Amino acid sequence: MIHIQIDGRSMEAKEGTTILSLAGRLHIPIPTLCFHESLSPFGACRLCTVEVKRGKKWELTTSCDTAIGPEMVIRTDSPAIRKSRKMAAELLYFKYPGTKLIRDTAEKLGVRVKKSQENSRDCILCGMCVRTCREVVEVNALRFEDRGPDHPGEPPRIGYIGDSCICCGACAFACPTGYIRMEPYGDENRRVIWDRVFEMAACRICGRRFAPLAQLEYLSRKAGLPLAQFMTCISCREAESQTRMVDEKDWISCHA
Amino acid sequence: MKKPHPIAKVNQPGTPIPASGTFPVFSTWDGRLIDRRDGRSRTDRGTCPDRFRDLPFRGLMAWNGIVLREEDTDIPSLTYAYLREARKISCGECSVCMIGIDRVMEIFRRFMDGKGTRQDLKEIAEIAHEVTVNGKCNFGRSAALVPVADAVKWFRSSFLALIRGEKRLFNHGYESAVTAPCIEACPAGLPVTAYIEKIKNFQFQESLALIRSKCILPGVIGRACTHPCESACVRRKVDETVAIRLLKRAVADQDLKEGCTPLPLPKVKKKEKICIVGAGPAGLAAAYHLRLMGYAVTIFDSLPVMGGMAAVGIPDYRLPKDVLLHETGLIRRMGVEVLLNRRIEHLKWDEWKKRGFKAFFLSIGAHRGADIGLAGENDIVEGFEQGIDFLREIQKGHSGIKSAHKVFILGGGNVAIDCARSCLRLGCNRVEILYRRSRAEMPAMPEEIEAALKEGVKIRYLTAPLRVICKWGRIEGLECIKVRLGAPDAGGRRKPIPVEGTNFILKADRVIAAVGQEIDMSFLTEKDKKLLFQGGKIFVDPVSCRTNKEGVFAGGDCVTGPATLIEALDMGNRAARSIDAYFQGKGFDEMRIFEGIDTASQRGGVFFPERRVAGEPSLEGRGRLDDFAEIERGFTQAEAMEEARRCLRCYRLMVWEVEKSRQETTQGRGK
Repeated sequence: MIHIQIDGRSMEAKEGTTILSLAGRLHIPIPTLCFHESLSPFGACRLCTVEVKRGKKWELTTSCDTAIGPEMVIRTDSPAIRKSRKMAAELLYFKYPGTKLIRDTAEKLGVRVKKSQENSRDCILCGMCVRTCREVVEVNALRFEDRGPDHPGEPPRIGYIGDSCICCGACAFACPTGYIRMEPYGDENRRVIWDRVFEMAACRICGRRFAPLAQLEYLSRKAGLPLAQFMTCISCREAESQTRMVDEKDWISCHA
Repeated sequence: MKKPHPIAKVNQPGTPIPASGTFPVFSTWDGRLIDRRDGRSRTDRGTCPDRFRDLPFRGLMAWNGIVLREEDTDIPSLTYAYLREARKISCGECSVCMIGIDRVMEIFRRFMDGKGTRQDLKEIAEIAHEVTVNGKCNFGRSAALVPVADAVKWFRSSFLALIRGEKRLFNHGYESAVTAPCIEACPAGLPVTAYIEKIKNFQFQESLALIRSKCILPGVIGRACTHPCESACVRRKVDETVAIRLLKRAVADQDLKEGCTPLPLPKVKKKEKICIVGAGPAGLAAAYHLRLMGYAVTIFDSLPVMGGMAAVGIPDYRLPKDVLLHETGLIRRMGVEVLLNRRIEHLKWDEWKKRGFKAFFLSIGAHRGADIGLAGENDIVEGFEQGIDFLREIQKGHSGIKSAHKVFILGGGNVAIDCARSCLRLGCNRVEILYRRSRAEMPAMPEEIEAALKEGVKIRYLTAPLRVICKWGRIEGLECIKVRLGAPDAGGRRKPIPVEGTNFILKADRVIAAVGQEIDMSFLTEKDKKLLFQGGKIFVDPVSCRTNKEGVFAGGDCVTGPATLIEALDMGNRAARSIDAYFQGKGFDEMRIFEGIDTASQRGGVFFPERRVAGEPSLEGRGRLDDFAEIERGFTQAEAMEEARRCLRCYRLMVWEVEKSRQETTQGRGK
């Protein structure tokens, strides 16, 4: 435990906690856009800025990726903080005026926003999908591309590695603007994500299309078990597990 | 004639350089003002790097401010050119920097359309401030819009004229250059920030391609480099330096793990044959680049393996030889002819030219241990040897060290440390290094010294050997004397002065001298020696690597004296381009634009969250002295990506308007 000061309040806190999670526990509101509890902090949206005192000067820093240190003095509200947050939101609004999430966030932070019903679902480069794929699913099918001096002209974008993708849809779930979508392709037998079509596997008992084949293959590889073992849908598996109790030998033979 | 490098033109006679009294007309370098416009003379403790006097620009905008040579420089146009370049570097990872630049450029376009207002200038300043205080990386915070804010502040009238429609934006001919402190610190100028960015973004293949463009032995350099880049890392001021060397290693290891990408094959075929003497880092780098250009390349080496000093001078625990074998093998597979075990006894140029070689690159290294100058040194038959010979013998598999031996190593460089740690691994635990200066003066890498001490090597400082004592041609001991340090000599190192009457005798079974290496020049005739050598080294033009003999180039340790792998690679890279220029009948000139400019300096304090190095990359315990197994573990892919995120992206951008005399040639380029 270390001693810190936040918004004039002296307190003890666990070393290594980020300012944002500490503020959350103290019910201090801090706006965020690219933050998620399950993902590593990224510091992309620059909306969660707070000030930390260094010497006699207050310095801005993002609260999501700054860990508290001994005797740190923090404040989460000041004219400079408000101005900085508002400016970041204004720039985001300038770039993505059609995205509802950005409009709402900007409005909350005091930016004058034109009323509109449109929602253009832009990619705001928050990196949520990339981090989800990398940290939660551990597949690494997404990455940032076209960044840095050797990619002049190209706007930065999210790169998709189709060969690695397992069509789990976690990125679509994490995407805050709806830019990434997973949809059926034609009939229920196929699904499309990131412009790649995936075959849905049929349950070997009831024949229902229940999961993308690529995902089952990935699970089988990761678990080191035969693919056949994953080719049963949840409802059939439940029924099957009861049979397993009855006759173990039989179960082994049917999976061999 | 070859088109000269844009900056290299300075060196040619005839380019006028204004008198120092009027330079610069205006500068905000480092945030300190010099303003001599309209006969004003405001200086706010302002200085600007002397280096700028030599560069042929009218007006210049860089990460650290604006510098003008001529008062009538069109600042709004220069600012727009700067923004365009800055936009390319901005990564878009955070919301303020790239969008901020976009927004400012949008405002400029509004000026052009005649829709600008005074309010817009205020907005530019506000955006610049936001990016400076709230950007994610160091490029945003210290470079992206800092000079733009200066421009708006100090050249308000020019911008107002633009808003009123009295002025327009023009392309006056702009050039730009990008670097970073780590890139500047690297002798070979590896694009450090760029390849780290690729690692961060899970583009290991692309990262490898970037590294290979300047460093053909990534796995070797990733293990055995002296990493001057890390000493220059700006992250140091926040917590610890980014582990750049280990990141490079991670890229190389990952490639090896995934089945290794071959080197690109030459696209064209050229008829000239080139002979390279010595398959060390310099020779291999030259061979790779020349082969890639399409030349036929033949390498000769007296050793049975490729790699030169990397193969026989660095012990396995620092550099496993399979890594070297793999990387040298890739070069061989490009179609480079490698003739090993071919010692050139007498170099007869005519004979070689008859064999079709049109150019020669000498990279023979410095493989002969320097004489130590001890009394009795020449009497010894057994028990005394050169450190560099000792390391080579270990590679061949016979060292003659017995565990009961008491070994003394003379010298304080990396070779001395390597010998000492190798002795430990050969089972001999009584190893002592004698060094005639103190720890602070030791030229070996600090982490190597630390590791040696940890492993149990003893170091006796301020001790100089005087005489070797031997009996029947076998070493018995060393007579030493205590020394104290006097005033610094010409090289800046303090000179050891013997203290009278402090002689003492140490009993020794083996003495290994590692006090330096020399170049073996026995293969040359007296005439060639005189022509090529100067002060025991091959004399070359430092830029083009040309020797005094037509068509003969040289690089590596045989030019610099014992130096680092990365310096040798740099010379090899350069020599390849120079040889290519030679065949095409062109001159070769290449200048480092940022040389002499402190790229580490930046305006304003920065706050970055602390983040420590990912993972502990060193193997501890596990009987590391039992064998020559590699000590360092290296990063896993995930750790490397995590570590790469610590990079602050300290890109330094410089955009300048070229001098009038050059404008015709650059017209039509750029904007």
